Amino acid sequence: MFEFLNQPEVIKIIVTIGSMALFFVGLFGLLTRKHIIKIFMSIAIMESSLFLFFIGLTFNTNFIAPILDNTHVNISNMNDPIPHAMILTAIVIGMAVLALGVSFAIEYYKLTGKTNIDEMNEMKH
Amino acid sequence: MSLKRDLPTSTMSGFALSGILVLTLLNILLQNMPNSIQTAGNELLKLNANEGVANAVTAVVVYFRGFDTLGEIAVLFIASLGLGLMLNSNTKCDIKAESNFMLQTASRLLFPIILLFGIYVMIYGHLSPGGGFQGGVIIASAVLLLLISHKEFEVPHAVIIALETFAGVSYVLIGLVGLLVLDTFLGNFLPHDISQMGLLLSGGIIPLIYIIVGIKVGSEMSMIAQNLIKRSNDV
Repeated sequence: MFEFLNQPEVIKIIVTIGSMALFFVGLFGLLTRKHIIKIFMSIAIMESSLFLFFIGLTFNTNFIAPILDNTHVNISNMNDPIPHAMILTAIVIGMAVLALGVSFAIEYYKLTGKTNIDEMNEMKH
Repeated sequence: MSLKRDLPTSTMSGFALSGILVLTLLNILLQNMPNSIQTAGNELLKLNANEGVANAVTAVVVYFRGFDTLGEIAVLFIASLGLGLMLNSNTKCDIKAESNFMLQTASRLLFPIILLFGIYVMIYGHLSPGGGFQGGVIIASAVLLLLISHKEFEVPHAVIIALETFAGVSYVLIGLVGLLVLDTFLGNFLPHDISQMGLLLSGGIIPLIYIIVGIKVGSEMSMIAQNLIKRSNDV
């Protein structure tokens, strides 16, 4: 019944629409929330939507994981390893940036007691 | 009563703005959807067979993009360093919520198992899905479990510094030895025969480097978790 979902074109469209819906959730939170930790969380959601998009574009149900063994070196039906490696890098960098940003937010709250970004106007005066 | 107070204008305008942006992006993406994405994946898979590493993702991350991984480790180190500088405090870990008896007992029981699983994922990174980054994060999650369950537990600072220094220096040293022996940075100078593919001792320097990456990521993540937990109490 749901066999048509296995076609690569259908998977690509589903992945695109789904990851962009998740991107919308993150962007909406980024634009409307005022709490700084919630803004960092929104950025993390946007990041994860892009990870899903990249991995999903090269996903194919006919292909197997790119793991060779000594008897089977036929590579014609293997998934592309490049997006996986790129996204592994991107996840680590995103985590590092998120941790650093949260540490800045915590230290700012410790100094001033503010979490609302509308009140962060020390540089104006 | 003004109109502005009745309607949640900021929410609505944010909804509309992000909706327009995402729909534009979606339109562009769906119209230009390629039938097949061309990368160097097949060529790398062919080359990968020469290196004797079963997991192609590991070969790409550690060997073909080994220099980038060194930079990535440096970024992680700088983030950990900046976080430690921002949040340096000598206050003891004092979480307000008391951990109950069940969490304490279970964490004592689970800590060695999670640690063992992390080391397994790290060491078998060139044969199966997983590797240094994943294994390091699993080890850090074991440390995080101890941090939230035992108030008096503290990650030994000297051990973390020693592990990080060892991992960073040995990564660069392995790369330099490859430069001396094979004239390429991170050259695979250890034996990596294709007939050994699938065994634990295969792939030359690639499993070594991934274990080093795992040690570094595990120690840095543990330090980040401890810094964040220590600080969250006294604000």
